[in-house]
Amino acid sequence: MGIPTTHYHFVMKTRTITFIVTKDCQLLCKYCYLVGKNSNERMSLSIAKQAVDRILSIEDKFLEEKVVWDFIGGEPLLEIELIEKIIGYIEYKLQELKHHWLNNSSIRITTNGLLYCSEKVQRFISKYHDILDISISIDGNKTKQDLNRIFPNGKGSYDLVLKGVRKWVMQFENVATKMVISSEDLPYVYESGVHLLELGVSRLDMNLVVEDVWRDGDDKILEEQLVRFADYVIEHNLHQDRKLFIFEECIGKPFNPSFESSPCGSMMLSVDSSGSFYTCLRFAGYSLRSKKPRFIGNIKDGINYNLLRPYCILDELSQSPYKCLKCDVATGCRWCPAENYDSSLTSTVFERSTAICKMHKARVRAKNYYWYKLNRNRN
Amino acid sequence: MLQYLIIQLDDTSTSYCHYYNGKRNRNLISIDTLKSGIMFGMKENLMIQYILPDYELPDEYYEVLESIDHSKIASSGSPYASVADVVVLNGWNKDYAFDIEGVYVLRVDKRTLFEKTSEILKVLKECARLNIVITDVEKFSDADFETYKSVLDSFSKELEALYVAGKTPQLNLLTDRMMLDGMNNCNAGSDSITLAPDGRFYVCPAFYLAPDDEDYGLGKSKVSVGSLASGLDIKNPQLYRLSHAPLCRNCDAYQCKRCVWLNRKTTYEVNTPSHEQCVVAHLERNASRALLMDIRKHGTFLPEKEDIKEISYLDPFDVRKEW
Repeated sequence: MGIPTTHYHFVMKTRTITFIVTKDCQLLCKYCYLVGKNSNERMSLSIAKQAVDRILSIEDKFLEEKVVWDFIGGEPLLEIELIEKIIGYIEYKLQELKHHWLNNSSIRITTNGLLYCSEKVQRFISKYHDILDISISIDGNKTKQDLNRIFPNGKGSYDLVLKGVRKWVMQFENVATKMVISSEDLPYVYESGVHLLELGVSRLDMNLVVEDVWRDGDDKILEEQLVRFADYVIEHNLHQDRKLFIFEECIGKPFNPSFESSPCGSMMLSVDSSGSFYTCLRFAGYSLRSKKPRFIGNIKDGINYNLLRPYCILDELSQSPYKCLKCDVATGCRWCPAENYDSSLTSTVFERSTAICKMHKARVRAKNYYWYKLNRNRN
Repeated sequence: MLQYLIIQLDDTSTSYCHYYNGKRNRNLISIDTLKSGIMFGMKENLMIQYILPDYELPDEYYEVLESIDHSKIASSGSPYASVADVVVLNGWNKDYAFDIEGVYVLRVDKRTLFEKTSEILKVLKECARLNIVITDVEKFSDADFETYKSVLDSFSKELEALYVAGKTPQLNLLTDRMMLDGMNNCNAGSDSITLAPDGRFYVCPAFYLAPDDEDYGLGKSKVSVGSLASGLDIKNPQLYRLSHAPLCRNCDAYQCKRCVWLNRKTTYEVNTPSHEQCVVAHLERNASRALLMDIRKHGTFLPEKEDIKEISYLDPFDVRKEW
């Protein structure tokens, strides 16, 4: 029997606070949703401290038991010294305020892995290892990685990242990563999934690009690739000790209004170098193709709770077109409030983007195959 | 389903709701646009409501206006106030002579309402219906909520005395909820649409009258939803319906305006009310509950209506997870 993943609810008692420490990155990944990356917007320690002060001053609004202090970019490890200073300040303030997040904090960093082996980063990892959840974004094998995750000069990043990945899986247990799947790299999904499991990744997510990029026939390719991947996982008994979110048992059921709501809004808060607050970094200007940044406040004025309300009540029923509400395989179909907003006609988060529809259905067919085969084998 | 066509006859035609009309230069709808608007209303089977200006219209306009069934909204300073179905008072005027059979909209800010409560409540016995519109509801503080609660109590006592005396005045803030069995909101964009002097459609007059440069964060406030020439084109029309308002569809503050313009201004979403709008509506709802119970102590009253149930919250947002 495979390990049923716990879906998104596992995070619901945890607040995630994201510092966008820089909007710069060494890579120029083809599918990256950060369309406005730049080297100018680097967070200052002063802004970070003011953000921490503001957030910790409203403890009654953040009642979650735990907090994840999340550092993201661009590439966050470009600012590892700043991150260390911010964490030092957070620790100091939690102590000073006797805040309920004292001893209930962890750190999360998502990196492209290029600086993972550097001396500064390794020193940071040693210092915070026990409360650190660091994830290297790697898309799979060399072919897939170098197709999309490239330097500005077009050169692939696989060889450099692999060095970091090998060190990472040695340093941490149960490492998790997300493979991003785009239209161009679909033929390499199977071998990339296998490669990541062989590298030692324990928890593997495969995220389909949510933007409207999919071409005719892509769903068939994805389905075929995932079926091959399912066969590999089962034949090698990897389903027993790896978590594979792509095959979550709970996906692909008829629409269920109580299935889930996005944690965006109710459980997340992001701050950027200008001191603006967002529910998620994807509402910051550098993430949006065609819409204005959608703030919910700033470090000076605090959070505007009226602006937060839509995110907290955004449910599938209110945003979905009729075809989604009647869909027989609706559950688990990804939706992103920011992509809703960015692709909407009226600057609303309540207009569901359905660009991923046929790809979700392909995923469901592969997932059904996975569980059908797994259960038949068991019997 | 669309039922009403509101025609803003002039840029200076009075506001009758939460929005402010700062236009001072006359810009009368053209006679051809007016005729086309009426034709549109006839073809779409819409009830027409005219918002009249504070000056005399040319004779040929009046003939066109009267060519079809309609209702008239005019300010108390308009030459058409005496023939209007709804008269709008912009601000409190204690010397205004109300008509005992008249229907009035009183647009006041919270401060005036709080300070002049004892004067305003006397109007209840001087007219058939009073709609009080608080023009700065989005600025209510916690202290204002407390004050508003006591203001509603004062109105309730007056209404109770009048009902016991056999009179049946209506006050939107308190008597509507007693009579309603379901949501009865403004429903702009869903049940009604506005035609402006520029020949374009707007969700409500507020979306037309917004200053050209006004932007609360995500884009211009002034947004049209089609024109007489190109037809009605409401993007995301479902978001104006109750079914697509996650907080409101479960709510029983049936008298709430559910103002989509205030929603857009305060939360960026037309289907999401602000904390202030919700709390104000629930203070009214709870005061209506108390009023209904108080009137019933004197005898049978609205026997076909069930009691309004007691609830523990003022903002449904706080209990959203229980829904």
